[in-house]
Amino acid sequence: MALNICWLNDLAKAKDSARQTKKPVLLDFFNPQ
Amino acid sequence: MGAVTYPDEKVVKFVDYNFVPVQIETSNTALVEQFKVKWTPAIFVLDADGNEVHQVVGFLPPEEFIPTFMVAKGKWYFNADQHPEAQGMFDEALRGYPESAAAAEAVFFLGVSRYKMSHNPKPLREAYETLIAKFPGSEWAKRAAPYRLIPA
Repeated sequence: MALNICWLNDLAKAKDSARQTKKPVLLDFFNPQ
Repeated sequence: MGAVTYPDEKVVKFVDYNFVPVQIETSNTALVEQFKVKWTPAIFVLDADGNEVHQVVGFLPPEEFIPTFMVAKGKWYFNADQHPEAQGMFDEALRGYPESAAAAEAVFFLGVSRYKMSHNPKPLREAYETLIAKFPGSEWAKRAAPYRLIPA
């Protein structure tokens, strides 16, 4: 089974999760084209 | 990044263990403007309040991505005055990826973190000497230049 990064797509939710898990946010901007 | 680095098994495990990953398309103009993104890939490390800790623009292969973001996580600990944890990340980057482009920054911040924890300036001098010996052309060797005046 292939591994994948479980990306969130909402920065506000990521910050909430960062607060709860005591981890930093890794924010990746990408151009899908 | 999506074709080479993000599918890499070591990268997946590293990101999952150390970060809350969030991916935003460049069509999100509000966030693109907020973070002043002009080119992709653009990757930021933020604290839970949204303060920027580290920023990288451009492609990184897995063997550079991991140490780059080990150093970024070390800086996140450093900013929170969690120096033993910060030093652990800088050490891990240096031990695991001594030839990476991030290694010189790891040496610099390892010295600064040790100084901040001990108030003994000797680690700054040691960082300078390591940078001159191993990474003489790096920007971090230049930034550490004042530490050469610290008595050995």
